[in-house]
Amino acid sequence: MTGPAPVPEPIISPDVEEVLLTHEQITARVGELGAQLAADYGDRDPVLVSVLKGSIIFLADLVRAMDIPLAIDLMEVSSYGAATESSGQVRILKDLSGSIEDRHVIVVEDIIDTGLTLNYLLRYLEDRGPASIRVCCLLDKPARRLASIEIDYRGFTIPDRFVIGYGLDYDERYRNLPYIGVLRPSVYTAAAE
Amino acid sequence: MAATLTDGSPRFAHQSEAELARILDFYGVAWQYEPDIFPLSWNAEGAVTESFAPDFYLPEVDLYLELTTLKQSLVRKKNRKLRWLRQLYPDVRVKLFYARDFRALMVKYGRLDFLADVTAMNGNGPLDDRASASA
Repeated sequence: MTGPAPVPEPIISPDVEEVLLTHEQITARVGELGAQLAADYGDRDPVLVSVLKGSIIFLADLVRAMDIPLAIDLMEVSSYGAATESSGQVRILKDLSGSIEDRHVIVVEDIIDTGLTLNYLLRYLEDRGPASIRVCCLLDKPARRLASIEIDYRGFTIPDRFVIGYGLDYDERYRNLPYIGVLRPSVYTAAAE
Repeated sequence: MAATLTDGSPRFAHQSEAELARILDFYGVAWQYEPDIFPLSWNAEGAVTESFAPDFYLPEVDLYLELTTLKQSLVRKKNRKLRWLRQLYPDVRVKLFYARDFRALMVKYGRLDFLADVTAMNGNGPLDDRASASA
């Protein structure tokens, strides 16, 4: 035996200016959120609804920290930039797979920034007749909030920075980083030039 | 009240305001363009000498929004007016949307082409070093 295997160095992308939240910090907080949700929901068999794509990594870790019966469902909605040439309104690209009528719904979000997408989603879900809806987000960035959102479970409140990793992307990249990092501005300023 | 076009839609003072209106429409958020004017100072005769008309009002959240995508000197002026407004009307909720906030929205929505147009129109320098990710 040669002792424990060395802990691998975190993968720091050259496009990351600063690590805002380490993998260890995220893991610990997600564990706390999962335990809190499990205690609050007990045997009420909640449905955790998440929005593709950014939330899937948070959702995957969160449900594994919840030792209670539960279900998960996924939605995908169009975002403004990708749809400006088409309908001019949010479209549901992937709807819920099952009914949420009379079910206790927990909306799981990676980050709440303006709150516009979540505001739309909550109105949509409320029309489906759930017993209750609560919101659980990993990151709350309140600086530019344009909608009134009540967050019931919050991982971290973060400053007004462009964050990537742990599911969050810029131009579909960086979702696989195990930490939350601040994107180096030269990445998107170069794209604007 | 804001000026309107022949079809009744508001005549936006700046492209960035029209873009924000499109974003709010996209997400089904109700808005009004410059619906109210708040007097800030009066002369000895009681006539209003300075006022503030925030660009947008979002009735569902009872929030006024003022967009600032222009020069830094105008930002200082708007900041001063905003402080004044908050003193005179403490119950009125106003949020100043800075150039960096608007830029962050454009980055988030992949509207870098629009951002380049607006920046060029304003004669502003290159994008500043702050923006933030999506929701």
